[in-house]
Amino acid sequence: MSGAEPLLRIEALEVVYGDFQVLWGVSLQVRAGEVVCLLGPNGAGKSTIMNATTALVPRHAGRVSFRGEDLAGIPTHGLVARGLAHVLERRRLFPTLTVRQNLLLGGFNPAARAHRSESLVWVESVLPFLVERKDQLAGTLSGGEQQMVAIARGLMARPSLLMIDEPFLGLSPRVIDEILAIVERINRQGVAVLFTEQNVQLALSISKRGYLLESGRILLEGSGREMLEHETVRKVYLGL
Amino acid sequence: MRAWLGHRVEGLPVAAIAALGIALAVYPLVATLPFWRHVVIMSMLYGAMGVAWNILGGLAGQVSFGHALYFGVGAYAAAYCYKVLGLAPLVSIPIALAVSCVAAVLVGLPTFRLRGHYFVLASVFIMEGIHIVVSNWDRFGAAIGLEYPVYKAKGFADALWHGQFQDKLPYYYLAFLLLGLALVVFRAIQRSPFGMFLVAIREEQDAAQSLGVNVARCKLYALVASAAITTLCGTFYAQYVLYVEPSSTMSLVISLEICFIAILGGIGTLWGPVLGAFVIVPVTELLRAYLSGRIALDMSALADGGIAAWLEYYARGGGGNLDILAYGLMIMLIARFQPAGVLGFLRRID
Repeated sequence: MSGAEPLLRIEALEVVYGDFQVLWGVSLQVRAGEVVCLLGPNGAGKSTIMNATTALVPRHAGRVSFRGEDLAGIPTHGLVARGLAHVLERRRLFPTLTVRQNLLLGGFNPAARAHRSESLVWVESVLPFLVERKDQLAGTLSGGEQQMVAIARGLMARPSLLMIDEPFLGLSPRVIDEILAIVERINRQGVAVLFTEQNVQLALSISKRGYLLESGRILLEGSGREMLEHETVRKVYLGL
Repeated sequence: MRAWLGHRVEGLPVAAIAALGIALAVYPLVATLPFWRHVVIMSMLYGAMGVAWNILGGLAGQVSFGHALYFGVGAYAAAYCYKVLGLAPLVSIPIALAVSCVAAVLVGLPTFRLRGHYFVLASVFIMEGIHIVVSNWDRFGAAIGLEYPVYKAKGFADALWHGQFQDKLPYYYLAFLLLGLALVVFRAIQRSPFGMFLVAIREEQDAAQSLGVNVARCKLYALVASAAITTLCGTFYAQYVLYVEPSSTMSLVISLEICFIAILGGIGTLWGPVLGAFVIVPVTELLRAYLSGRIALDMSALADGGIAAWLEYYARGGGGNLDILAYGLMIMLIARFQPAGVLGFLRRID
């Protein structure tokens, strides 16, 4: 085997909801410090990959390992201390808690607890608006601000991999640019990022590599450039 | 000093809390009639239980309709220990707490795997199941219950040891302490990281989980804390009325009263359940005293008279359950006009 062990390795993952199989032998990996996107239309299984990785939905078959450790049997709440943070789809902030409380809740796991105040300083330096809004109730923020708080809350765990489910969903172009910049800033600090998105061009503009998912199977994988130049992607997703 | 008095604990200045506390402590010295003391004793008792329920129901968002189980465990443990085993309350309280802790874990482990409404249903079924078992178990007096042997105490210390007082005054201050204890525990939990985890679970369980909150364990701890205080209230109740029976300690009615007090007072808030208890309990106690004790007519005689006779019967002050009817009406009114609870109503005035 060449090179270092990838940060996240998913092998032949299958997920079944009742009688309905959502994922069919999905394999992917994310290496340290990478930005990787998961592309695909609605219902392709992008969120399911993330939710199955963090055990929010049960894995039917396959193997998921993080930093070389098999994640079988490790509950959701045990993952964040290992350096795997998951920002759920639709942000899922705690609406009646303040921005600051939302952030602090991200830093209570045993591994992050000791550095909580440093993490707060770090996160607030990456996203300065958090300081101005610290006492505001999270439920009263705009969609874009909520997304930023959700990302910041994930960062409070000091993860080596941050998984963000649909970071750009329902946001205006200007806010999308802001989030893109934030993701790049986070990545420059050494955090690997895996995110899901439907807009191919947007996603590949910041990703080193991407995976294209369709009906629960990986259709394509490659570097950003390879993907953009691939015939299927050009025809189906870019309409060229 | 002045700044400290102005400091607010959930909207209520410390000075006002102190004043209310003193007023409550002085009240029984002014109101010497046993009935008026009884009304406030029951208000404080139910207030304490509402606050305890609120740890699980308000902070963690896990609505339990089965809290009478823990009340019943406390009442039965105290009565059984005293009557059958000859143990004083000081000894029976730790036993009651241990039993209630085990019961809470046994209830919590399977039911917290259920989400939403299923937990509510499970909490009712478990309590009702145990209610039926106790109602048929001769060891615990079955449906008749357990009656305390009345003890003639020699002095105050002796009375305290046996947990039986001739006067209502000591009971009053014990209930006062219970309410204080419940409030202190609730506040401590509310302000701790653990309390924040509970709120996180209430608002977004999946997000809480993926931030590293052990959801099942947190809910279980919240239930145990909530059950323990409710059990203490149960032991107090048994020592107070000196008689326990299934339907007045372990029934759905008691469960609902506990959670209505918290919900109608203001769910998830520190003062809400206390306020709820001091509105609901006096009204029901007064209605019970002034209405339900009246002439109990033979209902079968009304069968021929139809609705007119039935209304006349109620108008004349008969009817065993008019207090419960009024209770229902009060709940409907509060739910209709102030869904945020009585506390929400006061906030709006403020």
